[in-house]
Amino acid sequence: MPQNNSLQSATTDIVEMGRTITPALQQEIEQFLYHEAELLDDRKIAEWVDLMADDIHYFMPLRTTRGPRDRNLELSGAHDIAYFDESKASLQLRLRKLQTGTAWAEEPPSRTRHLVTNVRISTTAKADEYEVKSAFLLYRNRSERQTDIFAGERTDGLRRVDMPAGFKIFKRLILLDQATLEANNLSIFF
Amino acid sequence: MSSMSWREASDLFDEKAGTINPAIYADPAIYELELERVFSRSWLLIAHETHIPKAGDYLSTYMGEDPVVAVRQKDGGVKVFLNQCRHRGMKICRTDGGNAKSFTCTYHGWAYDIGGNLVQVPVEQQSFACLDKKQWGARQARVDSYKGLIFATWNMDAPTLADYMGDAALYLDAVLDRSEAGTEAIGGITKWVIPCNWKLAAEQFASDMYHGLFSHGSIFTTAEIPTSPLGLGRQFRASEGGHGTGFFVRSVPELRITNAGECVPGYDPVADEQAAVARLGTRAQLFVQHMTIFPTFSFFAGFNTLRVWHPRGPNEIEVWAFTIVEKDASEAAKEQLRLSSTRSFSPAGTWEQDDGENWVEIQRVLRGYEARRTPFNAQMGMGQDYGVDPDLPGRFKQALSEGAARGFYAHWLKLMTEPVGEHAECGSVARAAE
Repeated sequence: MPQNNSLQSATTDIVEMGRTITPALQQEIEQFLYHEAELLDDRKIAEWVDLMADDIHYFMPLRTTRGPRDRNLELSGAHDIAYFDESKASLQLRLRKLQTGTAWAEEPPSRTRHLVTNVRISTTAKADEYEVKSAFLLYRNRSERQTDIFAGERTDGLRRVDMPAGFKIFKRLILLDQATLEANNLSIFF
Repeated sequence: MSSMSWREASDLFDEKAGTINPAIYADPAIYELELERVFSRSWLLIAHETHIPKAGDYLSTYMGEDPVVAVRQKDGGVKVFLNQCRHRGMKICRTDGGNAKSFTCTYHGWAYDIGGNLVQVPVEQQSFACLDKKQWGARQARVDSYKGLIFATWNMDAPTLADYMGDAALYLDAVLDRSEAGTEAIGGITKWVIPCNWKLAAEQFASDMYHGLFSHGSIFTTAEIPTSPLGLGRQFRASEGGHGTGFFVRSVPELRITNAGECVPGYDPVADEQAAVARLGTRAQLFVQHMTIFPTFSFFAGFNTLRVWHPRGPNEIEVWAFTIVEKDASEAAKEQLRLSSTRSFSPAGTWEQDDGENWVEIQRVLRGYEARRTPFNAQMGMGQDYGVDPDLPGRFKQALSEGAARGFYAHWLKLMTEPVGEHAECGSVARAAE
């Protein structure tokens, strides 16, 4: 029977750029993403910031509704305004703000649940770096009844490091599936 | 007030007592009247000139709740027209922006040129025997501009935009006129929804320095923003029109660095500021300047964020924000501003995220019947004398005052109690000969 390439069994290696994504690697990276989500949902923001490499670019562009002539402009560009355009230094600034105890958008804090799925790994030119695409659903509830739901895609750059977590994140591109943000603020991380 | 159930206008806002009836933030009848009496006759910010530089460039936006399209014309002018097909009212433009040769309604195919003129009607020859297309163009708003900003109004009797802003106009210079080269918009309009009344946001930017220390204390501390010695600062209440601004007079060139969390290589904040001071004098050094041009255009200088609080019913707004920078600024300076603006004033901004929190909670409380009829105190600065500044035009109270808020609500009340005149006629409502 002809094999359908999109339906691979759990024991089949996936070959990308001549290198192999083994089931063990797939599981290792998925577990890393779940660990990261758990840190955010457990409000361990300092530990989460520690997972970011010193050269992290954490980026969530704006999105717009465009016609066929301008479809290439759907996402805001590298030199445009964004929802998030962060470095390690600016993430640390956000962390320090949260730690004051008077950052009212997160005091009392939100309840969040980061669901991560559709994990697709690609190898890169560097043996210790991977590009990982995933889909997310982020549920945020705060105060009495405020509930926000964000869906989208993340494209992460992961670098293998000699730490218990196994990886650091050096790139995160977040595409939110909304044009007008349906929330009063983004005081949480994706 | 003829069409409202309140006994006296002063039941809604009493300037002498310095009290606000919170019903003005929550009552659907008041909101409906605002759409007619405030939004249909005020000048409303549409866009920056550089959002639509070339002929056919367009931007979809709103005037109050009314969707409009702003389009650059071949002669260099800008048209702003209602985004509503004259046949059955479908949107004629369903995208946020781009470049267009025409706008075709996707319902029955009526097509409008970039000036909003009706130019094509499917099966016109066989089925519309007496259609005069000239009479059925999109509703045109009146357009005017000021130092790079495009405004529009439905009020054909309104004063010019410059007269409308009156003595407040000079205070826009800290963001609009720091360089002879003028300004340009950095790409991207950030849009988000806050479940609160539009006046909470507009009034805060007109008048409220007071909340800064407490609401934004967490970022003041962590970004090392100087809070002393700032002196008393200044608050300016426009002599008419409901506009207001407040600021401290102090040079804090490092603001964009500490709030970005880092310095872009090559950025020289001191040289940057000196050039502006040479042009504007003290007006280039208005620190943490907040300002509202009535009703819904506000900005915050320093981070150069400009925004419109589009009303969406009494209980909700959409914030549409963009950032401007001097055209001739260095690439490093533009990047520094882009980063500090994104990271400070946006839904994720370290300043702005806390504002949304306050307004949302206030609006939720106003679901309560008793809460809606328990007056708010807006007395700060009453009885305080006005002062003058040799370097700045106008008269001031200190920055921690609510004089500009009282000016905002006094103008609001004036509009709400004046019936709308001829300008409300909706233009070319032509009758086709039967």
